[in-house]
Amino acid sequence: MPRWWNRLQSKVYARAWWLSERYGRRAGSFDDIPLPPLAPLRRPLREARVAIVTAGGVHLSEQAPFDMTDPEGDGSYRVVPLGTPPSALRITHDYYDHAAADRDINCVFPLDRLGELARAGEIGEAGPRHVGMMGHLSGAALGLLVDRSAGAIAALFQQDAVDLVLAVPG
Amino acid sequence: MVESVGIPTVTLSVVRSMTEATPAPRNVFLRFRLGQVLGEPGAVAQQQAVLRSALGAIETIGQTGGVVELPYRWRREVYPPPVGVSA
Repeated sequence: MPRWWNRLQSKVYARAWWLSERYGRRAGSFDDIPLPPLAPLRRPLREARVAIVTAGGVHLSEQAPFDMTDPEGDGSYRVVPLGTPPSALRITHDYYDHAAADRDINCVFPLDRLGELARAGEIGEAGPRHVGMMGHLSGAALGLLVDRSAGAIAALFQQDAVDLVLAVPG
Repeated sequence: MVESVGIPTVTLSVVRSMTEATPAPRNVFLRFRLGQVLGEPGAVAQQQAVLRSALGAIETIGQTGGVVELPYRWRREVYPPPVGVSA
């Protein structure tokens, strides 16, 4: 599909929730992948180090954009350091309408909001590294995410001694 | 995957069928728009409220695959004043 068609579809989905519900039902299920038992929060939220993963295609302007030419998507990920100003971030993702998030990245990547909750003492602190990736993956791209990227992201958060991760869709 | 290494996760969603088909360990659903999951651009109070509630779900979801639905109604809501905003 040409990129303009994907972008047009994403605008329609953003305005017609019933279509996205239908899309979700057609996306199938991962019933064959059992959910892991819940990991406990090791310290109270007001002391916890929190990191964000967004599937909204967020990356640094200087990093390679996600591949929009592969119809299966791009299963790689980008690391966003804490303190990155919104002006240094970009969204590359043709499969949802990110016009609002282009104006305020916090719509899909609430790094500023996380910092504010930390300043107010509601959480301990924001982690030193956060992650951008893409939703809308299938085939080999989904395989790359599951087999490679997910483990690398988990290891990165372990190194950073992150206590809690928030995952945000696009 | 992150949950499997012992770090708890909370996953936001605005598409209910997606959450039902592919649940994460802890799911927080709200009736917001795709691409504006935390709220509208520049709506600091709204975005903080969603973020606070999403993180708070760590203390209320006790079963893997559990779902919490947030009550927020987009603009038809009085959100608490923003916290932690530098002058």
